[in-house]
Amino acid sequence: VIEEPRVANLGVAAHSPQQADVALPSVSATLDALRAPAQASGTLVILYLNFDRYATIEEIYGWEKLDAVLATTAAELRHRLAATPWRDAVLAANAQHDDDFVVFHVGGVAKEVSEGDVPPNIIRDIRDGIITRLEQTYGASIASLFDLYVGRAVIRIDPKLRFERQVYRGIREAASNAHNLEQQERRQLLVDLRETLRTGAIYIDYHPIVDASTGRIFGYEALARGTLRALRRPEVMFEVAAQLGNIWELSRVCRRRAIEGMRELLQPGELLFLNVDPHDFDDPTFTPADLATSEPERVVLEITERVAIKDYARFRDRLRSFRDHGFRFAVDDAGSGYAGLGSIANLEPDFIKLDLSLITGIDTNFIKQGLVESIVGFANEQGAKVIAEGVERAAEYEAVKKLGVHLVQGFFLHRPKQFPNKLERSLRRP
Amino acid sequence: MLMSVLDTPRILVVDDNQDNANIVRQYLEVVWGYSISVAYDGDEALRVFELERPNLVLLDVMMPGRDGWEVCRLIKAQAALHETARTAAAHQAPSPVRVIMVTALDDISDKCQALQTGADDFIEKPFDLAKLAATVRRNLAALAHSNAA
Repeated sequence: VIEEPRVANLGVAAHSPQQADVALPSVSATLDALRAPAQASGTLVILYLNFDRYATIEEIYGWEKLDAVLATTAAELRHRLAATPWRDAVLAANAQHDDDFVVFHVGGVAKEVSEGDVPPNIIRDIRDGIITRLEQTYGASIASLFDLYVGRAVIRIDPKLRFERQVYRGIREAASNAHNLEQQERRQLLVDLRETLRTGAIYIDYHPIVDASTGRIFGYEALARGTLRALRRPEVMFEVAAQLGNIWELSRVCRRRAIEGMRELLQPGELLFLNVDPHDFDDPTFTPADLATSEPERVVLEITERVAIKDYARFRDRLRSFRDHGFRFAVDDAGSGYAGLGSIANLEPDFIKLDLSLITGIDTNFIKQGLVESIVGFANEQGAKVIAEGVERAAEYEAVKKLGVHLVQGFFLHRPKQFPNKLERSLRRP
Repeated sequence: MLMSVLDTPRILVVDDNQDNANIVRQYLEVVWGYSISVAYDGDEALRVFELERPNLVLLDVMMPGRDGWEVCRLIKAQAALHETARTAAAHQAPSPVRVIMVTALDDISDKCQALQTGADDFIEKPFDLAKLAATVRRNLAALAHSNAA
C-alpha cells in the first residue's frame, strides 16, 4: 500500500516536525527486512540518488525546511515507483538524516533486471515527479535547487558472504557511479560554457516587477540564461564560469544582451534591473560606456549583499562613476544576514531588494514581518523603495503590501517572459 | 486533547532583572490568568523548561552566562527532539513551544539573529504591558492553530 504523501496538503506551513515519520529509515535499519528476499532471489539492484544541491536549501532556509523537502521527496519517490515494476522497492536514507537516498530492488525476474538496467523512463519519471511536487508544495525557488544524479549497481548475493558487507559494497559502487555521472556532466558544462562564450548563446528572461499599490508593471529584472540546455540556470552558468576564470567575460555578454533586449522589448518608462556581481566592478572594461545605453536613468544595477566587499572606498568610487551617468542601484538579497542596514546605507541604494528567505511564509512568521517592517521604515527614511521578490502565494502578497513594501516580484504575479519572437532575432545577430 | 492544554497556557518568563521578571509574571498571572514560571538566568531557564514544558517562553536576550540566543537554540533543539520521539511513538500532533525574544531597541541585526536561532517572535524593550499581552496572545493563537492543523 502506498502511503499518500501527507506533506502535499500542508502548503507552505509544511516545515512542522510532524512529517518526521514520512522520512526514510536509514540503510542499516532496512537491512534485516531485505536479507531474506535478497538471499532468496540472489540479485539485488541498488540505486544511489544524489540530490546535489539540497545542502543549499539547508543553508538558505534552515534544516527544518530541508527535512520537509526530504520527506516530500521520499513520498513522491515512493509514489512514482509504485506505478513501475519497482513497486516493491525498499527506500532508505543513505544514513540517518542524510540527504542522499538509496533504493533497493530485489531482482529475480531476469528480463526485468537484465544486467541491472533500470528502465530509463523510471528515472526520468522520478525526476519530473519530484520537481513538480516540490514546485507545488514549496514554490519555484526551492524547486530550482533540485538536482539529481542516479548511480546504480547490481550485486549477486552470495549466501556464504556477510550480507551487510555485500550491500554496503554495492552502495559504494552505486554512489561512485552517481559521482562519475556528476563529474561527466560537469566536464560537459565546461565545454558548453566555452561554446557559449564563443557564440554568445545567451538569452534573457525578463521578470516583471510590479507596483504594489497599482499592480502595474514598474520594470523587469533581466535573468540571463544559457541557450545550451545544461546552462539554462544562471547560477550553474556563473558557477562554471568561475571555475574557468571567465566571470567577467560571461557578465559582459549577459549585460550586453539584456540592454539590447531592453531597447526592443520594454515599454517607455519601464526600468531594467540588471544583476551585477561586485567582482564585475574589478573588471576595468566595465564602465558606463560599456553598458551602451542612451537611457541610463532607466537602468538599475542590482548588487548582492551576499558578497563581502573588501575595499569599500574604492567600491563606492566605482559606483559613483555610474551614478554620475544616471544609473541607479539596488541592494539585492537584503536581510540575508550578511550585512546590516549600516552597510546597505553606505551604498545609498535607490532600491532595496529583500532576500527571498524573508518572503517565503512571511504571512505566518512574525519575525519576518517585523524585519520587513523595519527595513521598509529604514528605506522610507533613506528615500529608497523596497522590492519583495519571490512572492509566490496570495497570502504572501497581501502580507508584504500590508507591511508597506513598494514593489513586488514573483510567480504569484508574473512568470519571467521570454519574448520568443524577438529573441530569435537577437540571437541571430552576430 | 492538546487544545485543552492551551486552556491554561504555561509561560516561562526569563529575565536576569528580577524586578522586570516579577512585574511581567504578576501581570500575566493576575490579568490574563496564565500559569507563569520565572527563571533569572539561562541555566535556570533550561532546567525549568525541562521540568514544566511551557507552551511559550519570554526570553530576554541580554543575560550574563548563557545569553538568550543560546537558550533559544537549546530550547528549540530539545523541543524538536521531544517531538520526534513523541510523534514516532504515538502519532500525536506536535505541540511545539513558541519562543519570544525580548530585545533592546529596534535592532535589525537582533531580528536577523532571532530568525536564525529559530525564535518565533520578538518584543522590544521597553515594552508596555498591553503590547506584551498582544504579542503573547498572537503566539498562543498561532500555537493553537498549528496544533489544530
